[in-house]
Amino acid sequence: MQQTIQGRSVHGLINRDTPVGHVLVGVRKRAAIQLMGSRLWGRFNPNHWDPVYAAETGLPAPIQTGEMSSAYIAEMCVNHFGAAMFRNARVVCKYIASTHANEVITTHGRVSAKTPKGNGFRFTVEVWADNEQGEKKTVGTVEVDVGV
Amino acid sequence: MSVETVNTDSLMPMTEIQIRQTRAFVDSLQSECQTYWDMVNVGDELSRDLHITPELVILYADAVEDYNPWYEGWRMNTWYVPGESPFGGAIVPPLLVSHFVLSVQFDHTKPFAIGSIHTFHESEILEPIPVGATVRISARAIDKFIKRERRYVRHEVLVTDVRNGTLYFREVRDILSR
Repeated sequence: MQQTIQGRSVHGLINRDTPVGHVLVGVRKRAAIQLMGSRLWGRFNPNHWDPVYAAETGLPAPIQTGEMSSAYIAEMCVNHFGAAMFRNARVVCKYIASTHANEVITTHGRVSAKTPKGNGFRFTVEVWADNEQGEKKTVGTVEVDVGV
Repeated sequence: MSVETVNTDSLMPMTEIQIRQTRAFVDSLQSECQTYWDMVNVGDELSRDLHITPELVILYADAVEDYNPWYEGWRMNTWYVPGESPFGGAIVPPLLVSHFVLSVQFDHTKPFAIGSIHTFHESEILEPIPVGATVRISARAIDKFIKRERRYVRHEVLVTDVRNGTLYFREVRDILSR
């Protein structure tokens, strides 16, 4: 298999020798109101894009749909695991706090376990997304087969 | 920010006509509807087919600012392209189908109860989905529960290829109802 396709690493940045404790470099995005109000998300819940409706329901600002932070975490994992992220992978995300419009969100990951499997390992990565103050918004785990 | 100081254009510039249009749209959403909790009964099974067009993938990838070229089955100037990924042609981002489950979790012909919030998902990405595939998203309500005085509805979801039956994706997810 080629090492890169269209400039992206097929195998990602992690290999079978990557140790437990390894820290993944995340991705960083601003919760832009224009993206939060994309018709992709339906626009049927104004809590995601209308500041007036959000305030009426007690929110300080519109909140991102949780799928956005899950997508950011998935993007980080594709960067690190490449093609392996698309076959027999598992992603668990729990949205523990709201991401408000204009917050800057960074994803994080840390390899927490490696379980021998076939010729390689099943990696478990503790993942989370937080804001600039370090307040966690989304937490979870990702499992991916490497070199199996 | 207090309710009194929040304006429709607080977060993005708008003219008066845009503000009027936005307020009219928000008002229209608050039509008579059941809460999500009341709309769904444990055991409810719903299924819909989704054609994952190249444009739909671009719409999703742009909304989450993921510019991985593996997802591109459509490019400006050339338009439709087969794309290129480790699996051959263009593929669908790992969690794209998870988003569209929402449209299968309730009877979409009824007014949607706005204000419900997605709180949890456990997703298994089993096989890469080619851009252009038509998938069947099947959702079954498996639980309704109350935790810390909040009402949750749990669904189990399968995503399969309509043409060849490949099981692409499996998920359990929770929605917090109003």
